[in-house]
Amino acid sequence: MATRQRVPDHVPPEKVSDFNLYSSPDMQPTPFGDPFAAISRLHEDGRPVFYSPETTRDGDGAWIVLKAEDQRNVLQNSDAFSSYRKIFSSAIGEDWPVIPLEIDPPEHRKYRSLLNPLLSPQRIAKMEPFVTAKAEELIEGLKARGTSAEVMTEFAFPLAVSVFLNFLGLSDDRLMEFVGWADELLHQGPEQRTAAAHKVLGFLDDLTEQRRREPTDDFISFLVAAEVEGRKLTDQEVRAIAVLLFVGGLDTVATAIGLDLYYLARNPDRQQELRDNPDLMPSAVEEMLRAFPSITPIRTATRDIELQGCPIRKGDLVSCPSMAANRDSAEFPDPDVIDFRREDNRHVAFSYGPHRCIGSHLARREVIIGLAEWFNRIPPFRIKEGTAPVTFGGFVFGVENLVLDWS
Amino acid sequence: MKVIVDREKCQGHARCWALAPEIFHLDEEGYITPGDIDVPEGKEQIAGRAVRSCPERALQSVNG
Repeated sequence: MATRQRVPDHVPPEKVSDFNLYSSPDMQPTPFGDPFAAISRLHEDGRPVFYSPETTRDGDGAWIVLKAEDQRNVLQNSDAFSSYRKIFSSAIGEDWPVIPLEIDPPEHRKYRSLLNPLLSPQRIAKMEPFVTAKAEELIEGLKARGTSAEVMTEFAFPLAVSVFLNFLGLSDDRLMEFVGWADELLHQGPEQRTAAAHKVLGFLDDLTEQRRREPTDDFISFLVAAEVEGRKLTDQEVRAIAVLLFVGGLDTVATAIGLDLYYLARNPDRQQELRDNPDLMPSAVEEMLRAFPSITPIRTATRDIELQGCPIRKGDLVSCPSMAANRDSAEFPDPDVIDFRREDNRHVAFSYGPHRCIGSHLARREVIIGLAEWFNRIPPFRIKEGTAPVTFGGFVFGVENLVLDWS
Repeated sequence: MKVIVDREKCQGHARCWALAPEIFHLDEEGYITPGDIDVPEGKEQIAGRAVRSCPERALQSVNG
């Protein structure tokens, strides 16, 4: 039925792979899965760049780039590889970029300059007491309920989302509703994605309208008053920034906490290492960000260009799974060994290039504080007998049904 | 030891600053401040680690 050409004519057959980030066996929801090991094995195939038909959530084909150095070249070169692909607006049949992610340099710079100070490492330090207090509250709450918990819904999501709502200046009354929107936007089919996109926009448009009438000291009020190049942001710019930050903060931090706890629950010796050396936590979190990252930046070639012998044609999609570069032995010695003391850990969990995750400093602190509080308050833990966590690949990798038991 | 800073390549990961805030300084946006850095004596090892931890490879160390 598909009229879309499965593999374009310019792609040599020997460059086409069966692998696909969504539906390859290890990428599908898998009880006790390890999608990261599956991605790591791709390096053994001998093709540093290959073409994967139907490897985006829209079913498009893309070139997949495995090596760190090649991903760095793609993601640092926004002249040849544009980040604009209607990642959000396509869901509602419109055509506008989320800002700053889908704006290419040099224009991109003015938006980053506006937003960077809000999320700089220096500024993030001021948010730490809130993160710590929230983590304490959630962990003490689930401890009071028993000796096991589904940590995604009882800890990771509530922590990540309430910290982010706090940054945006929103209360967490509707927290789980927002988490549901993120799930529909990032992990479900086209119809649910469209419905969720409308819900997010409706919510943010209403909020923006309120803040225009009655400014507070929150993020939307900041945007409404903000100036770039001596002028106020347009309504559309406010919307395009708000959407990106809202969606970007809902899913990824919770995922990182979940993937780390999934690994630690199955590796009691590594738990003990962290209990014996609490100062190791920042470096351990950095290493787990390397080993279990969740995102895949995708770019569109703006001109014909060759990469590792592959004829990339203008308009082709180029996909840079962070979990592939992070398991590249040319960049990281023994990439499948998880070493909490790894030095020179220049991983790509937050992407390379001008679109480096603007929330990366907040994300790091949340994961470090979240895990440190967990270890302070919860004795050695394991996967609850009779339950099976389910891992998945796709647009954002992750784990669900993670029931931990510390009885 | 000197660290050569390619500020165009800095994207604000701030890994150098996390390892050695006394050597690597950030501007208010979180990017490294411009200019090459003379590493104080005795700090060569941590400065070298910071150079190697840059995801963008924006830093380079030279002896001298």
